Amino acid sequence: MNNWRLKEVIVMAALSVVFGVVYLAFLPVGGVLVGFMGPIGYEPIFGIWFIVSIITAYIIRKPGAAFVSETIAATIEVMLGNGLGPIIILVGMIQGIGAEAVFAATKWKKYTLGVLMLAGMGSAVTRFIWGMFQGGYIAYAPSYILAMFVIRLISGALIAGWLGKVISDALAKTGVLSSFALGKIYKQRKKAA
Amino acid sequence: MSIHNLNPSIKAITIILCVLLLTMVFDPITPLVFILWIFFVTIFVAKVRIKKFLLFLSPFLIFAVGMFWTNVAFANEPINPTDVVSLFGRNIPREDIQTALSLSLRILTFASLSLLFLLTTNIVHFILSLMQQCKLPPKLAYGILAGYRFLPMIKDELVLIKSAHRVRGVNRAKTLKEKVRQYKRFIIPLLASAIRKAERTAVAMESKGFTGSRDRTFYRQFKVTPKDWLFLIMMLSVLVTLITIAWQVGYFRWYNGEI
Repeated sequence: MNNWRLKEVIVMAALSVVFGVVYLAFLPVGGVLVGFMGPIGYEPIFGIWFIVSIITAYIIRKPGAAFVSETIAATIEVMLGNGLGPIIILVGMIQGIGAEAVFAATKWKKYTLGVLMLAGMGSAVTRFIWGMFQGGYIAYAPSYILAMFVIRLISGALIAGWLGKVISDALAKTGVLSSFALGKIYKQRKKAA
Repeated sequence: MSIHNLNPSIKAITIILCVLLLTMVFDPITPLVFILWIFFVTIFVAKVRIKKFLLFLSPFLIFAVGMFWTNVAFANEPINPTDVVSLFGRNIPREDIQTALSLSLRILTFASLSLLFLLTTNIVHFILSLMQQCKLPPKLAYGILAGYRFLPMIKDELVLIKSAHRVRGVNRAKTLKEKVRQYKRFIIPLLASAIRKAERTAVAMESKGFTGSRDRTFYRQFKVTPKDWLFLIMMLSVLVTLITIAWQVGYFRWYNGEI
């Protein structure tokens, strides 16, 4: 955290706050889907709960961005009243670790679409392991567990990885990111063109 | 002992430890008795109004019923398929009912534990205490607090963006598809303005001498006192006692039985 500029920390916090609200807003959406389809209902939209990791890591490009931003978003969710309470902070950390591990594997150097999608899937994996125990998925039939897992992986790759990149790129185009890693790359590209 | 005045970090740690312990439990009786204990603590010790508590808990009742249903419907092959219970005119293995009941009661236990935390804790105090007790870096703690302060501003900003779009002739969304498209139009300007605000706040903080160093003083100080530990020990010992009794009587089950 020491080599982070204060600007980056606060921008990360601001993004986490916005997405903390988004996370909370998607809970009832998941609830409705679960009502129709059973516990698998959460899976198609599960990626939305990993998106802030991808966006902040892609914008700020520093070790820890994915992990810390997801943790803050979870904390904000708790503050605003996610009924599952402080345990959600722990879940946020678990989700963050999954994405962070993928970025760590590239030594925080590569931020291509492929890596971002893998990071979204990384969150899906760690979150699923947690859900196996805490959510009690382990009591379901194996084929059902497998279906849940595959849909969650796809959702992590598409909603978190791909959509996260699309949103960040659109933000970079507005110019507000000019003092951050992603904005600097855009500036260079513009100069070169 | 007032639950409201306990150290927020210790309170959160207590709740997380209880949840982790309960995660291991797969029988219905232990969570049920523990829920009653949490109700007792919340309503009689913390003096939260029953109405308020039940109002917050009600969404989880619905969720718990859903959980019960799906667990019966999608249960794994039972170890003992001949031992059945008749429910809604269908024969369902006793084991599935037990697991389903235990998982839905678990949701209620988690929910009431976190309500015990949320309804008795000031969130700003929680962050300040995390910084003072749990070594959360001040840069991050004040960053989060600043971000938290942005929330109402972001709400205002959303209204502003909506009006700006209206003025420029964008119609009000009527169908669901239009609403989705509308939110797509909002998200980028909203995030852009949040980022600008965050940058300005960072400049303001630095210009007023904020360095993010741990070597600083606090206006509001939080300390850990013996009564905080008493709360932690009390909650955990009740849970451990319940599990021990369950073990002794023989109805205790943990997750290994389900694989």
